[in-house]
Amino acid sequence: MGVLSLLIFLPLLAIVVILLTPGRGAHTLKYTALTTTLIQFLIAGYLLLNYQTGTPSNFADISGYQYVEQLSWIRLDLGTLGLLEIDYFIGVDGISLPLLALSALVILMAIGASWNVTKSRKGYFALLMLLNLAVMGIFSALDFFLFYIFYEVMLFPLYFLIGIWGGARREYAAIKFFIYTLLGSVFMLLIIVGLYFSVQNPYTGGHTFNMLYMMNPENYVPGSFFDWVGNSYQVFGIPARMIGFIVLFIAFAIKIPVVPLHTWLPDAHVEAPTPVSIILAGILLKIGGYGIIRICIGIFPDSMAAANWWLGLIGVVSIVYGALNALAQSDLKRMIAYSSVSHMGFVLLGIASLTAEGLSGALFQMVSHGFLSAALFFLVGVLYDRVHDRYIYNFRGLANLMPQYTAYIAIAFFASLGLPGFSAFIGEAFVIIGAFNAETLQTGIPRWMAIFGSLGILLSAVYFLWTLQRMFFGTTRLKGGDRWGSALSDLSPREKLVLTPALGLALLLGVFPSLLFNMMNGTVLNLLDLISPFIFG
Amino acid sequence: MNVNFHISPELGSLLVVLLPFAGFLYQLIAGKQARSGLIPSLAMLVSGLISVAFVFPAIWNKTPFSVELEWFTIGQYSLGFGLHLNNLSVLMQLVVCLIALPVHFYSKHYMKNDPGIHRYWTFLSLFCTAMLGLTIASNLFMMYVFWELIGFASYLLIGFWFDRPAAVQANKKAFIINRIGDLGFLLGIAAVFTTYGSLNLLDLFGPDGLVRGTSPLSEGWATFTGCCFLLAAMAKSAQFPLHVWLPDAMEGPTSVSSLIHAATMVAAGVFLLSSIFPIFNQTVLLLTAIIGCFTALIAALFALTQHDIKKILAFSTVSQLGYMIASIGMGAWDAAMFHLTTHAFFKCLLFLGAGAIIHELAHFKSNSGLNFDPQNIQFMGGLRRFMPKTFLLMTVAALALAGFPLTSGFLSKDAILVHSFQWAQQAGGGTLLIPLTLSVVGVLTAFYIGRMIIKVFMGRFHFQKETEQTPIQEATSGMLLPMGFLALGSLAIGFSLHPLSYHQAYILTGLSAATIATESSLIPIVLPIILTLSAAAGWWLGWYWYIRQRYPFSESNKWIAWSANQGYLNQAYERAITNSTLRLSTFTYWIDRNLVDGLVHLSVWFTRQLAFTSAWIDRYLVDGLVNTTAALAYQIGHLLRGVQNGRLQNYLGFAFTILLIGIVYLIFK
Repeated sequence: MGVLSLLIFLPLLAIVVILLTPGRGAHTLKYTALTTTLIQFLIAGYLLLNYQTGTPSNFADISGYQYVEQLSWIRLDLGTLGLLEIDYFIGVDGISLPLLALSALVILMAIGASWNVTKSRKGYFALLMLLNLAVMGIFSALDFFLFYIFYEVMLFPLYFLIGIWGGARREYAAIKFFIYTLLGSVFMLLIIVGLYFSVQNPYTGGHTFNMLYMMNPENYVPGSFFDWVGNSYQVFGIPARMIGFIVLFIAFAIKIPVVPLHTWLPDAHVEAPTPVSIILAGILLKIGGYGIIRICIGIFPDSMAAANWWLGLIGVVSIVYGALNALAQSDLKRMIAYSSVSHMGFVLLGIASLTAEGLSGALFQMVSHGFLSAALFFLVGVLYDRVHDRYIYNFRGLANLMPQYTAYIAIAFFASLGLPGFSAFIGEAFVIIGAFNAETLQTGIPRWMAIFGSLGILLSAVYFLWTLQRMFFGTTRLKGGDRWGSALSDLSPREKLVLTPALGLALLLGVFPSLLFNMMNGTVLNLLDLISPFIFG
Repeated sequence: MNVNFHISPELGSLLVVLLPFAGFLYQLIAGKQARSGLIPSLAMLVSGLISVAFVFPAIWNKTPFSVELEWFTIGQYSLGFGLHLNNLSVLMQLVVCLIALPVHFYSKHYMKNDPGIHRYWTFLSLFCTAMLGLTIASNLFMMYVFWELIGFASYLLIGFWFDRPAAVQANKKAFIINRIGDLGFLLGIAAVFTTYGSLNLLDLFGPDGLVRGTSPLSEGWATFTGCCFLLAAMAKSAQFPLHVWLPDAMEGPTSVSSLIHAATMVAAGVFLLSSIFPIFNQTVLLLTAIIGCFTALIAALFALTQHDIKKILAFSTVSQLGYMIASIGMGAWDAAMFHLTTHAFFKCLLFLGAGAIIHELAHFKSNSGLNFDPQNIQFMGGLRRFMPKTFLLMTVAALALAGFPLTSGFLSKDAILVHSFQWAQQAGGGTLLIPLTLSVVGVLTAFYIGRMIIKVFMGRFHFQKETEQTPIQEATSGMLLPMGFLALGSLAIGFSLHPLSYHQAYILTGLSAATIATESSLIPIVLPIILTLSAAAGWWLGWYWYIRQRYPFSESNKWIAWSANQGYLNQAYERAITNSTLRLSTFTYWIDRNLVDGLVHLSVWFTRQLAFTSAWIDRYLVDGLVNTTAALAYQIGHLLRGVQNGRLQNYLGFAFTILLIGIVYLIFK
């Protein structure tokens, strides 16, 4: 069993321990979860340190991946349909490894935020560990079938975590979230099956779910449904490959989420308990971006090159629309949820630019938004824990009461609005630069998209600073009066312990972006090699 | 001291930046313990000494120096960080050091008893780091980083008294308007990157830099690039219509206003435009000149009627920055930098003087128990008797601002004005309006600063009676000494050996944009004489109006009100931009809930209706059919069941009936 498998399946062990622990052992539950995630975090660190950077290779070749494990899992002779091949096939490259490490960190933060959960702890931590397993699997899977399984497994714990441990409208939010994601993934299954029948393993001749084989045009059966050259299949007048691309894009776009498929997000965030919000914003949204890069571009580069104008447009609309909506909110958590829509719009714009700067910027933005949004939701949770209220207008002048909390939230706000020295700045700046450069490189993204996208940077300053001014500065006035005044104690050591690494990391990556860029560059260039024939050809 | 002690300019310039940064870190770690500000002040002192002794003399008029190390690689493009030292950058660094140093020492006394003083020193050190870093950054991306950090430090310092609602409104406004400029900068960087493939200043603007070659960009995009950087400079240097943040920024401590919002941060825009001057085409330059000129005029008009001493100075700053920007637009960025340097000294001094007055009046206010606004010049007057040294120092600065001979302001303003007339002669057309406007602004400047000095120091103090019990003190020497240092810098002799001719000013010869024509004409001789005379007339008018009480206008005069309310610009922005953005955001949220989410709910409703319908069909049609069949079978069965009742008579009766029917049938067949 390889290190990567250990990383993925360690939570399984934790689930067993948690389920076997008698109900009285509340501390055992917490510490089991904590220990597991800590070990995972260390494993992720080990993977990062031992990752060999800068080896130019091929995005569609196994040599571009490291820590690869490939075992044949299901082999079934289907008679005339050929041999069914499903592999346990995992590995990471410069795109997935940072996200994997991010997930380990964010889950650690989520455990830190769950420290005071009292409602049926056993189920809670078991579900959290299952979610942990699923996201690790999603970022590592290289077999489409395996990917799909992890993808669906992820939904299950989330539904219950929101539906049971959530706020007042938790059932509504949980089911909305579930149906939305399922809608995307059900159609994804159709495409997976279509791809399966179109792709052949060049060595065995059997049909395969291997994603890397799907990325190579030579492996497609001539005349099959998703064949590359001379494919004349159409659905509703749209070429088959474009249909495949669109369906997969919609599935992942729901996750990012993009406007207008985003309305599950504010509801889910507002109703979810703090730790789930942290995971939702910190990891799950990244699965959307990751899926678009790995699968939409990887398997359908031709369609991507043809459709990127629309993706860019959706990205710009998400940026501006999300930011405007954030401005209109009076619930702090909802505001941050909408700001996520805006910030993830940058990811889509960067990906759509199909330039090295834009793609790297988008990846950087994903990682940076991962821990920054986690920190932001944690900070909202701090306030909510104390007074069970998070309406912006119910607070004023918190800086006098909670100076340290104010300092942390100010840093988190400024980091999120893209102050230089913090990671979000690098991500957003290079998305804009890349999108602007795209017209020169003729990838199909016009410059006005970069110009309008940059409006999001301005608006983010507006809503964050306005919030800061309304809630934290001025003379202290609270809706709950003195009762709130005494309840609003400053940050506890545990809370600082959770926040400091995230904000420290934002600073570290903002000052030394090469830590991340060095890891990603090789893979990004491989990806561009894969798609460039279709841009210029 | 060791005679051989020597620091190379590259190391020196780096130390100049790193020392305040060390001060910042120290303040950050020490937290509330570090209240004295000794460490940041010392760091700034050493920075200043290094800049004066090792950096400036080693680079000025000698070989420029540029070095860059790799910062990070993105795709295949490597971005560096490093130093870029030439005449322009070392001059700017020197100016920042020389202004920051007295402000630090002044602050030690000015801010002494403030409960949040540890934050003050932290933020101030951060600002100095960012500002000094900007001057020597080696590429545009690094400049952008420091550029934004300057805005951030300014945000923190404006909102230093964060429990004052006005202060936190002002710092938000300042940061957001600066953000507009930052967007310009970022898009400008993107445009330069896509055009030239490099952001390094040496590569771009060096002797044979990329920019000097033919631009592969179309004229339209070249204009776009220029406008982007112009926008950046307009926000940071408070040019119309983005100047509105600067007067509000006066909510910060006065020592902050003097350093950041008079001398250094707001000059960053001028510095930026000067550093990347070759990138601008004629269209952008003309636009720059027009904007600068208009700003100079409108801010001077606003300054005429303000009552808040800091607001007068703020508008004066905006107006003078307009001069500099206009000068860049006319090609004379060297004159602009010269004016930036001289202006830094005298404007900083004016602010420090104003701070001293406010400080003493606030003391007077709390001692005497009176309630009045210590910043309002209506309540001042006759202060020269109480604060003679402050009076003297401020008068020197005011004369420099008004452009009287023998002051530094005379030289630099002259350089700009003379050049502007020569430029207009060459450019022809309506361009003559620009130098004429600038000349009028010169007269207005003299008047408003004269008005301020006269209303503050001359005549009779508003609360003369109360001073008998609680006299007003002269500022302490800890505040006067830094002011004295700045006053020295406001004299012409510091800048030119010939105190009446800017041609010998070493800053101009060193930068030599080589655009100022030296051909003999009447302008360079006649212009200064006219300007000086009209400036003197302006002071006389101020004295006549305010001291002799011959003020001819009433407060309700439409024009006076327009000027006092800053042209109603804030209200107009509030209505046109702020409110409409908020309305738009409310509208999009309405869309989001009702349209986007409405669609989701509609599809949910539709699905549910579909489900209900199919359930109804299932229950009443499909199952109904089944039940009907069953019921039919049952009914038929039921119909005949009655027959099987076991009574023999009935059976016989039935048999007989059937037989009867059979017989009847056979008969009638």
